[in-house]
Amino acid sequence: MLDEHGKAWSYRAKWAYLLFVVFVLLLPVFYIIYISFNEHGFGAAIYEFTVDWYRVVLGDRMLVASLEWTAYLAVGAVASAVPLGLLAAKFCKSSRNKVPFVTLMLMPLFVPADIMGSSLLVFFKNLNGFFEWLSDSLGVTWFYGWFELGFLTALIGQIVYTLPYAFIVILITMSRYRVQQTEAARSCGATAWQAFRDVEFPQIRAGVFSACAFVTILSFNEATRTALLKGGFDTFQNVLVSQMLNIGMSGESYAMAGIMSVIPMVVIGSILIITLIRSDRLERVARAKAAAVMSN
Amino acid sequence: MQADSGVEVVDLSKNYGSVVALKSVSFKIRSGQYFVLLGPSGGGKTTLLRLIGGFMRPSSGNILFHDQDLTSLPPNERPTSMVFQSYALFPHMTVEKNISYGLKLRKLPKTETASKVGRALELVGLKGLNDRMPHELSGGQQQRVQLARSLVLESDVLLLDEPLASLDAKLRKEMCLELKRLQEQVGITFIHVTHNQEEAMTIADRIAIIAGGELIEEGSPRDIYERPQKQFTAGFIGDNNLFEGTVMGQVGSDVKVDLGYARIEVPARESIITEGEEVSVSVRSELLQLVDPDDDSLNRIPATYVEEVYLGLTTSHLVRLSNGTEVVIRQVSEDEGFSKFSSGQEVKIGWQKSSARLHPD
Repeated sequence: MLDEHGKAWSYRAKWAYLLFVVFVLLLPVFYIIYISFNEHGFGAAIYEFTVDWYRVVLGDRMLVASLEWTAYLAVGAVASAVPLGLLAAKFCKSSRNKVPFVTLMLMPLFVPADIMGSSLLVFFKNLNGFFEWLSDSLGVTWFYGWFELGFLTALIGQIVYTLPYAFIVILITMSRYRVQQTEAARSCGATAWQAFRDVEFPQIRAGVFSACAFVTILSFNEATRTALLKGGFDTFQNVLVSQMLNIGMSGESYAMAGIMSVIPMVVIGSILIITLIRSDRLERVARAKAAAVMSN
Repeated sequence: MQADSGVEVVDLSKNYGSVVALKSVSFKIRSGQYFVLLGPSGGGKTTLLRLIGGFMRPSSGNILFHDQDLTSLPPNERPTSMVFQSYALFPHMTVEKNISYGLKLRKLPKTETASKVGRALELVGLKGLNDRMPHELSGGQQQRVQLARSLVLESDVLLLDEPLASLDAKLRKEMCLELKRLQEQVGITFIHVTHNQEEAMTIADRIAIIAGGELIEEGSPRDIYERPQKQFTAGFIGDNNLFEGTVMGQVGSDVKVDLGYARIEVPARESIITEGEEVSVSVRSELLQLVDPDDDSLNRIPATYVEEVYLGLTTSHLVRLSNGTEVVIRQVSEDEGFSKFSSGQEVKIGWQKSSARLHPD
């Protein structure tokens, strides 16, 4: 309890309120998951537990393929956006004038998803046209299809979307890091890379891993930009949205929604639990050492 | 025989755009010397230290270690190690891992590393604290770990950037003596940045006064304190009183100066003084005396007594000259708890001719 003059019941009431808000926010999601386990689907008078809808989803080759594409995109987005976000955060931390830099980095967030998606679509179409013209002019075929809509363009769209989030998450963690520690490492004989690996990264690791989790979730949940830029393949989210718009919600759709909701919750929950266990362990070690010193 | 130049700084300058942080500074530091860069905050001393350490690139000039120009080398390739003001211990490593970090990078065998770390911990008086984390140490202990981490590398030059600034006054005094002892023990060159003149006087073999990005003056602590060459040094070091005046002429080895409200005589300096030149004269507060108002001998100035401030060992008397300048006279406190002077009383201050320093700048 931070306010030592506060009443215990008010402290409990604040927590109860917080949990209530979270419960209300997540109630529709829990309800969808609940329905996804009902053999008779939404609105049925009888509830019979089943995992058949999940079996149907995972037995559908098209859905599994879309799940795979979703995973590939997520891996690609993490592998690109997180290192780029880390580099940008490092540069921002070392620059004197941080506000313009942060503003520029966050700019893509202020552009609506459909506008950004269609802008990228036009951009890639033109770029592809330029490369085809270049190929024809040079009499080679090498530049053909570089920016045709497909995995690469969808990935670039997701990187543009997730990079600002990765950047800001890492930058916040980095703000507690003291640059003197890098200089101290350099003064001990470390190269710039060794100083980053041994001294800086262990202290910003939590931010980098959080950024990975965040980008994964954002990538899984992204539909608009991907739908415009994906070309000939489908992501899980695109299939779900398409199903909802064209044939309405089926038991299969609820199972898909369940999968899409549970995955982020499991990822975030695991990070939280690991972080809590780790900080609890560190606190116990510190207390044990302090007790040993006090008893001397 | 010429003394070995451990570190030599030649015409070193550093600009940040149009801002000049350091202006063509040059000096030499002998190997094994405790050299202090002293000056007011923002004067350029930390910039100078960071340039020596390779954490910044100079705009112009060179840095030589044992007569070898290493200006373009990064910090990890220089024969230096550095102790920072604070926050520089690696918080995720134990004391032992902090100290052994540099040795690990050098890929030393584990047994050798362990023995060197043990010796370094003993040297700084932290034996047995190997497994502590930095946050479990006091400020003084953390600075000792930083020292051990630097000393264990056996570099030629140890750079210390205000290492005692974050410590309380008592601990700072203890650590000052400790640093001096350590330097004598290990025998390497220490370059120490501070704005605290007491700290500088306690530890330095030589002091360089740095202000406004320039090297104002360099010398032994005694020279700097007792015989400051420059007016800035006289104003910065010790408790000096400065009198502005005009040269009336030279009589033998003395210069006559007209202060406007009094005429004084000051020993001449090597530099040529011309009649009518504007000069300043410095006299340390402990060399000034309150004299009899009827005393008309040389170097006596009428003043009005303002107040006394009891400082324990000494008492400061504040007087005001006829032009409004306030002058401090510091004397060893007397047994009597009451003052011989009252506010507004007409008095005279005086000093021995040899106590004054003439500053033509």
